[in-house]
Amino acid sequence: MKPVLKHITQHYVFRRVLQLVPVLFGISLVTFLLIQLMPSDPATVVLRSTNVPATPETIAAMREKLGLDRPLVMQYLSWLWRVLHLDFGRSFVTNEPVLQSVMHYAPTTLMLTICAAALILVIGLPVGILAALYRDSLFDQASRVFAYVGTAMPNFWLGFLLLYLFSYRLGWFSVTSRGSITDWILPAITLAWTPAAIYARLLRSSMLDSLSQNYVLYARARGLLERLIISRYVLKNALLPVVTVFGLSLAQLLSGTVIVESVFALPGLGRFAVESILNRDYPVVQCYVCLTAVLFVCINLLIDLTYSYLDPRIRLGRQED
Amino acid sequence: MRKFFAYLLIAITALAMIVLPSCVQQQTAAPPRAELTFSWSQDVGTLNPHLYDPSQMFAQDMIFEPLVNYGRGGEIQPGLAESWEVAPDGKLITFRLRQEVSFSDGTPFNAAAAKANFDQVLKNREEHEWLGLIEAIDRVESEGDSTLMLYLKTPYYPALQELTLIRPVRFLSPSAFPESGTTAEGIKAPIGTGPWILADYQKDSQAVFKRNEKYWGEKPTIEQITVKVIPDGETRVLAFEKGEVDLIYGNGEISLDSFQQLRDSGQYVAEVSPPLNTRAIAINSARGATQDQKVRQAIQHSVNKDAIISAIFYDTEQKADTYFSPEVPYADVGLQPYAYDMEQAKALLDAAGWTQSVGQEIRQRNGQPLTLDLSFSGKNNIDKAVAEAIQADLKAVGIDLKLLGEEEQSWYDRQTSGEFNLIFNDTWGPPYEPQAMISSMRAPSHADYEAQSGLPMKAEIDRKIGEVLLSTDETTRQQLYREILTTLQEQAVYLPISYSTNVAVLHKNLSGFEFMPQANQVPLSKLGKS
Repeated sequence: MKPVLKHITQHYVFRRVLQLVPVLFGISLVTFLLIQLMPSDPATVVLRSTNVPATPETIAAMREKLGLDRPLVMQYLSWLWRVLHLDFGRSFVTNEPVLQSVMHYAPTTLMLTICAAALILVIGLPVGILAALYRDSLFDQASRVFAYVGTAMPNFWLGFLLLYLFSYRLGWFSVTSRGSITDWILPAITLAWTPAAIYARLLRSSMLDSLSQNYVLYARARGLLERLIISRYVLKNALLPVVTVFGLSLAQLLSGTVIVESVFALPGLGRFAVESILNRDYPVVQCYVCLTAVLFVCINLLIDLTYSYLDPRIRLGRQED
Repeated sequence: MRKFFAYLLIAITALAMIVLPSCVQQQTAAPPRAELTFSWSQDVGTLNPHLYDPSQMFAQDMIFEPLVNYGRGGEIQPGLAESWEVAPDGKLITFRLRQEVSFSDGTPFNAAAAKANFDQVLKNREEHEWLGLIEAIDRVESEGDSTLMLYLKTPYYPALQELTLIRPVRFLSPSAFPESGTTAEGIKAPIGTGPWILADYQKDSQAVFKRNEKYWGEKPTIEQITVKVIPDGETRVLAFEKGEVDLIYGNGEISLDSFQQLRDSGQYVAEVSPPLNTRAIAINSARGATQDQKVRQAIQHSVNKDAIISAIFYDTEQKADTYFSPEVPYADVGLQPYAYDMEQAKALLDAAGWTQSVGQEIRQRNGQPLTLDLSFSGKNNIDKAVAEAIQADLKAVGIDLKLLGEEEQSWYDRQTSGEFNLIFNDTWGPPYEPQAMISSMRAPSHADYEAQSGLPMKAEIDRKIGEVLLSTDETTRQQLYREILTTLQEQAVYLPISYSTNVAVLHKNLSGFEFMPQANQVPLSKLGKS
């Protein structure tokens, strides 16, 4: 039993997950304190959103109702207890449970993320690889233009141009959503272009880096098939930086993309979050910040685990310490 | 390996070429004639008739009806009440309710249902404190099926006007009241007596309204209205041009650049409504340099409103010289406008001790520069453009105007706290003007109160406001309004810019369009489509 336990505790994955505990605790603390740092008093905000005039008496009554009159530590503990039960309170504006509202917007954002991520992989990876393999060819130059345009063009403008061209001029898509799968194509392209362009360039340069390594020379000397060299040695090594950036942008996509959601009139998390911030809907903001932070942490964990798979040195190197 | 990726890329391209064009929507399949699509920048909300935001007023107005309606020019017309009678002492209004009216769920609308609605609203008095009517109501009683009696604590002349408001006194089916608590905490479903029924609702995406086949009044010719939520104005224009949206209506729903472009194209019907409310800036008489009446008057003289109206509003709005338009009841009292006159502005500033020596851009007094701030909501592009124009105008007379574009809540915070020299503060339009607007001037949580709070005669103004709302005699009332409005004009605490309007753009196959008397109503019920 003991060796097994030791094996588990020393395992990279286990240690990595254990590290999450203080991080998550920190997130909860920061999220909670966020409200204390906000410019308007929560009690006043609730009163204003329900049109009750903010007199000292009504403010005091509301502070008591919201529990703002208790010591900060007690407030934090009771908040944390509720959050652990997935109860983020009720929205000041709509009076609906916060998590329920977030869940209402989540499917749109999730769908958008999946479509965009798929496009990023399907376009970014082949373009990057081919650009590296046919370095300085016409294709490489074309991919460079693609990358520059993608990074230089602001999202809202690109989205609008796509709408104008494909929806209005050519009539291929409808401007407003009709509940069909084609609704997602233009927003996904808008979202995917910039990251796909970045990954293509990133992958190209790290591929070129790998190609000049000694192990590639050695592999070629051994007479291995070029296909095998590229896929097993070069690509696997070159993917590392791309995985990092991809993971982070995945988290970014999942936390909502307010501009694209506005242009394409999609009910996603980004728009909801920004609206809540503008309305000073603190419980919603808290929930959103908390979930986004947890999302980033979890995806980071996944990236690290992927790393250890792609590059065993990371997994094994630590163990030797 | 190279070949593999090359093939992959070619395959993807080929796939895209095949798939994308096949996504072509059936463009010829235009929505049927009896259906109409409208778009709005926000979700319609919970549609609780007794509450305010985030419910959208135009949508509340589609479902719920008032006892009396507001006609053009302030005329009170029958609604759910066929007739009414005001007691000579002004403390009792007796309504005779329309017979054979039922809510869209079949529940009959009678005196008991009306009383139940009033009771719900009155249980939540605090929330409606801004509205003088609710304050004035003592109790409501029903007699038989069709007699409703409204007992007032004091005579309140605008009672009937305020019953026409879209909220909070409209009628919800008692079967949709919550099981426990009041409607202030939530309702089961938005069920009213109006011409439309909410048939389908997808939050932040769309709401579908079906015609109420049991409607007692004139039924709409359109059977179904879909309200799509499109936050972005430019997207709205594209959707409209493509025919996915039948009409655009409102103020600020599209940029005035787009409006002009659509109007000039000649392909659509583009209309501008009669003046509604006043775009105005409140000038704080209790803070900094604007405490001085001469400085406030100098500001009035230095703003070139005509230039603002032609450059920013493309002449879709009329110049405003007074805080309330002369069209507003009791407001046509011949107030003296402040003309655009830079020389007079400079003279006033000189007289106030703010002098400008040669080569100096900004005037000074006792070594202090004449710096003021103007607060606006940063997301309001029109206010921002107006603010920039005023900044340039004031600079020409030697006033340094700092622009404070903040998020909306901060701007509200400043309105309530009075932390501003100048702040955008539009009037509320009919039917709130002038009585509800005047009444709110006494409440410290309003920019109006804060702006006036430094005036030596503020107590007297408040007293007169109290009197005018209780007045039962027409001549006294007019006289009091004359005095209040004249004082406010002379004291120059408001800088009116223009009378804002709603704009409408329609496809030519729509008929029966006319603007509504209330600013927040959208004329959907009378439209026809061919």
